[in-house]
Amino acid sequence: MRYLLLALALSLTSHAATWQECRGLEKHGKDATACYTQLTHTSDPALRAEGFWGLENYQQANAEFRDAVASPSSGAAVRVRWGLLFHERFNNPEAVNLFNEALAKDPNYAPAFYGLALVSADGFDGRAPQYIAKALTLDPKSAESRELAADMAFENSDFDTAIKEADQAIALAPDALDAMAIHAALELLNDRSPDAWLAKITAINPKYGEGYARIGYHMVQNRRYADGVSYYRKAVEVQPRLWSAHAQLGINLMRLGQQDEPEKELQLAYDNGYRDAATVNSLRLLDSYKNFQTFTDDTTILKLNKKEAELLQPYFSAELHRAMAAYEKKYQMKLKGPVQLEVYPDHEDFAVRTMGMPGLGALGVTFGQVVAMDSPSGRKPGEFHWASTLRHELSHVYVLSATNHRVPRWFTEGLAVHEETQASPEWGDRVTPEILIAIRDKKLLPVAELDRGFIYPQYPAQVIVSYFQGGSICDYIGERWGEGKLLEIVHAYAKLTPTPEVIQTTLGVSAEQFDKDYMTWLDKQLGEVVRNFDPWRKQLTELAQHAKSKDYAFVLANGEKVKALYPQYIGDANAYQMIADAQLAGGNKQAAAKVLVEYEKMGGHEPATLKQLATLEAEAGDKAAAAATLDRLNYVYPTGDEELHRRLGTLFLDLKSYDGAVREYSAVVALHPIDVAGAQYNLAQAYMAKGDRAKAEEAVLAALEAAPGYRPAQTLLLQLHNGGAPAQPKTN
Amino acid sequence: MKRIVPGLLLAVASLRCHAAVYYITVAGLGGEPDYEQRFTANAKDLDKVYHGAAAAHVVTLTGNDATRAKLTEALNDVTRNAKPEDDVVLILIGHGSFDGEEYKFNLVGPDLSATELATLLDKIPAKRQLVVNTTSASGGSVVALQHPGRAVITATKTGTEKNATVFARYWLQAMQDPAADTDKSGSVSAMEAFVYADRKTADFYSSQKRLATEHPVFEDTGKGEAVRTIAQGSREGALLSTLTVLRLDGGNAAIANDPAHQALLAKKEELERKIDQLKYEKAAMEPGEYKQALTAALLELAKVQQEMEK
Repeated sequence: MRYLLLALALSLTSHAATWQECRGLEKHGKDATACYTQLTHTSDPALRAEGFWGLENYQQANAEFRDAVASPSSGAAVRVRWGLLFHERFNNPEAVNLFNEALAKDPNYAPAFYGLALVSADGFDGRAPQYIAKALTLDPKSAESRELAADMAFENSDFDTAIKEADQAIALAPDALDAMAIHAALELLNDRSPDAWLAKITAINPKYGEGYARIGYHMVQNRRYADGVSYYRKAVEVQPRLWSAHAQLGINLMRLGQQDEPEKELQLAYDNGYRDAATVNSLRLLDSYKNFQTFTDDTTILKLNKKEAELLQPYFSAELHRAMAAYEKKYQMKLKGPVQLEVYPDHEDFAVRTMGMPGLGALGVTFGQVVAMDSPSGRKPGEFHWASTLRHELSHVYVLSATNHRVPRWFTEGLAVHEETQASPEWGDRVTPEILIAIRDKKLLPVAELDRGFIYPQYPAQVIVSYFQGGSICDYIGERWGEGKLLEIVHAYAKLTPTPEVIQTTLGVSAEQFDKDYMTWLDKQLGEVVRNFDPWRKQLTELAQHAKSKDYAFVLANGEKVKALYPQYIGDANAYQMIADAQLAGGNKQAAAKVLVEYEKMGGHEPATLKQLATLEAEAGDKAAAAATLDRLNYVYPTGDEELHRRLGTLFLDLKSYDGAVREYSAVVALHPIDVAGAQYNLAQAYMAKGDRAKAEEAVLAALEAAPGYRPAQTLLLQLHNGGAPAQPKTN
Repeated sequence: MKRIVPGLLLAVASLRCHAAVYYITVAGLGGEPDYEQRFTANAKDLDKVYHGAAAAHVVTLTGNDATRAKLTEALNDVTRNAKPEDDVVLILIGHGSFDGEEYKFNLVGPDLSATELATLLDKIPAKRQLVVNTTSASGGSVVALQHPGRAVITATKTGTEKNATVFARYWLQAMQDPAADTDKSGSVSAMEAFVYADRKTADFYSSQKRLATEHPVFEDTGKGEAVRTIAQGSREGALLSTLTVLRLDGGNAAIANDPAHQALLAKKEELERKIDQLKYEKAAMEPGEYKQALTAALLELAKVQQEMEK
């Protein structure tokens, strides 16, 4: 009512409006055009800026703020307002500069900390909680800051704090619509009706689409993608000019595997000036879909970039089906529709897919039954194990489906990490130095609070550490209670049971006791390595120095001892490789192979090292081992490596594994090699050995088309046409 | 890689069966132990490859021998001994510099400029020469070195690409990897080696997710801009395609020179022309028709070749 009277007053009198009053009108669903227009006619450039901002004339608003700040008497307030304009118009770096300038003017200016928190929260920056805490310390009565604090606590799965902050905001300002939206989101997340809170919002502002958009956002962050989409739809329905919601609707529809409607929504947002990075990049990504080839069967939709589709399809398709079969058996369920897997050779395209999602520099991301991941070609050779990543993401698909998207982040991530090593003990990540340091420094979180280690990290490695901890908790449960318990936990979470209760009911121990028992178990697993960490670091450095100066005697005398201190270390400059090099320098190939096999079994998958091992194995006459070693690299870096596929094809041919030989030689052909004739001839040989004369002829003709005078290929062609028996395969 | 019609190639091969190839390889000043080691290793490996292919005239300068005086002496020696029908293959490995006007190859002691090198090469009577300058900034040497009958390959497209290069590594690999012989002729032509090394260089930067700081080019007409690929209808690449940098199987000169095989050679030549023509018309033909015609021609060619080897 207060705002209705104000609107009336503005229209009838020459009352000088404040920007807060104009914003208030808008917040209450009233037309604030007259109010903002009035501001544009004032003599104060800061007020004019507010007027133009309200009228969506952002350029002019920017110019007015510039004038306002140029005045020697301008203070922190105008800088913060200008910073907020920059934030709204997708320029966070400038916004941060202005918030910092404001703090230079007034180090205790709470709104500047609010601004910094807002920007940090955008990127899930761990400093965001500190900034908002500071803002609230300086101004505990800021409803706006309370709402932001509630929002961030919600993101961090700290729902008690979220509700507490939201209630405080409402107590401070009965029209704290975003706080009400937080309440509604929590109701929805708990499968309760949000209608009471939505009615409160509607009573204040029936056109408040931002409330619905906020609910949609939190649904998406909690992996409730379909619910997220439906709330973004409501947002644009009640507030059709809420372009940010149109953009998010488009982005989240894309995440559900759609193309036409997302394009329409994103284009609408873009055409109306909403051109943040997510909107622009998503439109670009949609445009790039023409470069993708789709392979569809009853249960899968595989999208590969055309430039590598022929090469990757056999590997990805086989692994996708293998993983799905394993999960169907383990989770005793079949998915309702096909799984869509998108593989991006350009990491930037993949990043667009994940934009706005928390997590570490992700390799893959799952949205319901749509999985997007980096192609092995999108990273440096050996940088990631794509099959392990795929296994991880598919675990999410099944867990999200089994729980109807009601599962805490720590558990779905932990289980996915656990599943990587269930597929093969060599897959998954080994414990890294930063994890050992976190264990040593007692930074692991209680299981009931583990979700908080994923969103706003309190130290740089916390997200990685939380992934590890989630995975190792699942390892522990699987080892102590059996893998079946993990499935019981999945079902318990599906009923929205809180973690302490899940632990108690499924495992029969309290969450506190579980934490103690887990730490005891973890100490048995890694305690010694954790205690060895500092000596290991010192001794590895020393070993590396001696290895560099080719002091192989020292390396051989000390390498094993260093390796034993932290055997899981397979990263750069690892002891395995140094010992192998020293053994090779001394001519002891057998010993070099032995240590490299240890490296391989420990999960080492650096392509050059494994190729070196395969060479040693082949030289020792163990072609089967050499083939197995090289075949591991197909799960790591099958792209851009003709040599790998050629060598493996030859080994498979020698081992009379003709299907394998055909697959590998086909991979060479798919890589569009320089030596087309040689590649096609090898493929022809494999087909011939397999007994597929038609395919052999096709390949040998391709070889001779490239090099008509190629004698071995000519011989094979003659043999095919004379009906002769296959000759002993000879590889090129 | 064939860039001329098969008949002409055969004629060239027949004429050249007694020609010699003079190989000079220089690993210039490394400056740092890592570079020194890498440059020397590449040069020595090339030396090994040449000797492995039974090449008679091989000079390789590394370490303290990589001086302007020794290189001059080696080139003067070729000047004294080479005949017009012989080939010269000069490989420069190491660092180069370009000041906007003059390219210099970094050697132990005084450097050698591209202009000075060109003067030395001009004196050599061999009518076909190949200079493969794999150094940083090597693109800056093209203008000074280009000359009719001389093919110039550089690791960088201009003198301003100044970072250390990897092209030499892949040029060497082209000499070691049978896959570089893409037409399966039993020898690696300069064009085949260029295509191989160029592709591997690009793959290196792409797989390492690094911005490519070298873009190999060639120039073999003696005038004009160096190019990265052969444009349709261009004369670029003709010399490189016929310059053999390494013979893998000793060649088939005996067969080519045997009068008893002349009829078969003519038949072979005709079939090769027919296959080339078919490939040219492929896009306009029905796939089935093309396959049938190609198979028939290839089968006939295979039989002729089998007959020649009896």
